[in-house]
Amino acid sequence: MRRGRIPASTLTGRIVFLLPVAVLFVMFFMYPFIFTLVTSFSRWRGIGSMKFEGLGNYAKLLSDPTFRLALRNNIIWALAQGFIQVPLACLVAMLLVRRPRGWKFLRTVYYLPNVISTVALAMVWVAFYNTNGPLNIMLSKLFGSPMRNWLGNPGTALGAIIFQTVIYIGYFMIIILATAMNIPKTLYEAAEIDGASTFQQEIHITLAMLKGTLVTTMTLAMAYGIRHFESTFIMTGGGPAYATTTMGIDLYLKMDALRYSEASTAGVFLILLGTLVITLLRRIFGTDDPMSDVAQ
Amino acid sequence: MALCISLCAFAAGAAEQKAQEEIVLHWASIWVGQDSKAPACAELVAAFNEQNAGKIRVVVDPQPDYNAYEQTVRTSLAAGSAPADIFTIKLNPTTELFYQSNLLLDFNSVMTDDWKATFAEGTLEQSERDGVLRSLPMETAILPIWFNMDAFKAAGYDELPDTWEGMLEAFEALKKVGYAPTSQMTGDTNAWTSMIWFSHFAVANGGVNVWDKPFTDKAFVDAAEKIKMMVTQYSTSDAINLGAGGSGGHFLAGRTAVFSNGPWYAGRADLAQTPFFSSIKIANLPGENFNISRLQANICAAATKDKAKLEAEVAFLKYLTSAESIKKIAGASGAFFAIKTDYVPFASLPAQFAALAGSGAPTAYDLEAALGAEATLEFTQQLSALCLGQIDAKTFCERVEAKIDR
Repeated sequence: MRRGRIPASTLTGRIVFLLPVAVLFVMFFMYPFIFTLVTSFSRWRGIGSMKFEGLGNYAKLLSDPTFRLALRNNIIWALAQGFIQVPLACLVAMLLVRRPRGWKFLRTVYYLPNVISTVALAMVWVAFYNTNGPLNIMLSKLFGSPMRNWLGNPGTALGAIIFQTVIYIGYFMIIILATAMNIPKTLYEAAEIDGASTFQQEIHITLAMLKGTLVTTMTLAMAYGIRHFESTFIMTGGGPAYATTTMGIDLYLKMDALRYSEASTAGVFLILLGTLVITLLRRIFGTDDPMSDVAQ
Repeated sequence: MALCISLCAFAAGAAEQKAQEEIVLHWASIWVGQDSKAPACAELVAAFNEQNAGKIRVVVDPQPDYNAYEQTVRTSLAAGSAPADIFTIKLNPTTELFYQSNLLLDFNSVMTDDWKATFAEGTLEQSERDGVLRSLPMETAILPIWFNMDAFKAAGYDELPDTWEGMLEAFEALKKVGYAPTSQMTGDTNAWTSMIWFSHFAVANGGVNVWDKPFTDKAFVDAAEKIKMMVTQYSTSDAINLGAGGSGGHFLAGRTAVFSNGPWYAGRADLAQTPFFSSIKIANLPGENFNISRLQANICAAATKDKAKLEAEVAFLKYLTSAESIKKIAGASGAFFAIKTDYVPFASLPAQFAALAGSGAPTAYDLEAALGAEATLEFTQQLSALCLGQIDAKTFCERVEAKIDR
């Protein structure tokens, strides 16, 4: 068999195996994506024919103060997810990997919020932040603080929603923990013989070995931040005065008002922004393929 | 043996032919599950199916989540198909875009004089756009103000004040005895209870045709000032960004003395269990003689070239919109309909609603029904900004005006 030539039988086999996925990919990603792209350059409200609009929807979107606010909030979300949630998850994973007493129970407890409905948890947080809710009662008793409307104040609403996502660190913790548990013990033993402290071992061995996984989890976390929707929509609906709105909510509300073209434009913008964030992460952390850990 | 096989084959063929003749209509119904109209509707469908056995069969596709259902209707029509043979919409300036779709039946093409006569005065015209009638008016509502008279009595008022100034004094008195006077809210996508209050203020200022004026008109600016006062001075401290559940919850818990909603709220079991249930009084703003109303649900049918199916759709809708059917649904639910019946509610709250609705007072739409979803959403978000002091009433009105699709 000559190099560079694929035997027909192998090619046929590959096509047969790839076909189901390819069909699904074209049907459920490529077609909707191309349709969204086309719609974003047109004027269409869901009924009747589309009219070509050129870049009009994009110009309108970028000059829309609500969308700019949503973009700002999504960037805050992405940064908070990537630089608060992932480091916290990493810290917990680094503690649990040393297998302290009850570590398996703690691992389950940390992961538990991820198997509970986001809607149900969001409702619990709404009650928690209520003017007469547990948080205000606690702060009032401890510090004599006045009762605050945490979700009704633009100064605190976004922070309050982002804070509640801390309970979801278990998702990233599990990924990081899985990698951390596979770090050879011999590395730690050698470092100990060389006189390295526990802190030095964590910095120079654990974190160094986790680099690829951390880039992966950060990519996942920031991508989530960029497309965030559910809990904010349930907790505040994007209010008050659009203070917590996100691009996802803006897109949804545009669809609600039958502004499909503008919603598609927001959708395309969301995809482009997500791609940009992933590319930037790859550049910054110098990893050729941040998803390599997942691929392995 | 051969004879048996032949007979079986003949019977099977006959059954198949019968099945082919039977027309199946799918009704994407929101009147299911916990909805107060659900039991009566289920009975009506069962009775219709029995009367038309072998000819027409109505299958109910339950739609218990109204918001999700509205999305289904929108996406289905955008994708080029009707969501079901029979389905409902909330007709407003946003959803009237559906009228441009040929997927919906124009009822004017099948409307008969006797069918037309069953609908209340003006409701068919309200459902018509440019001479096209793609939905029939079904559920209607007036949206008055609800007063817990036990609370007013505790504040020293046996009767409701008959002037707005008097009402403000009563609110102050209510505050002194521990009540947050009103259940305002600026959350959800329509700031429901505050939107109703705002509609009352706007119509009181500018008359029943106020929605034809630009939103920057003085009538709206003054209404904005009043609603700001209601939210910031005469409501609960969590009113900013509060949802309808929270707003209603405050009233049900007896924390607030004044509320606003449609007749469907009167049938709630948790309302009936409140100690002040029998003291609730329904009225409009003091000194005003108009009703804020809306078409709550219009019913549509899918356009079809199949003559038999079209006849089946019309037959079912004639049955559903008959005075007899509506009387059954209204009696069981307390809801109001655009179809004339001799039904007179006897329970206190529905009777008060009926009296107010039948008072002959002029009517005006509420903001959402008049201006559509997008303007209402902007109203909601900017209401928070207004009440937080981020913008003034004039800016509030300018921002809402910018979102009105005229």
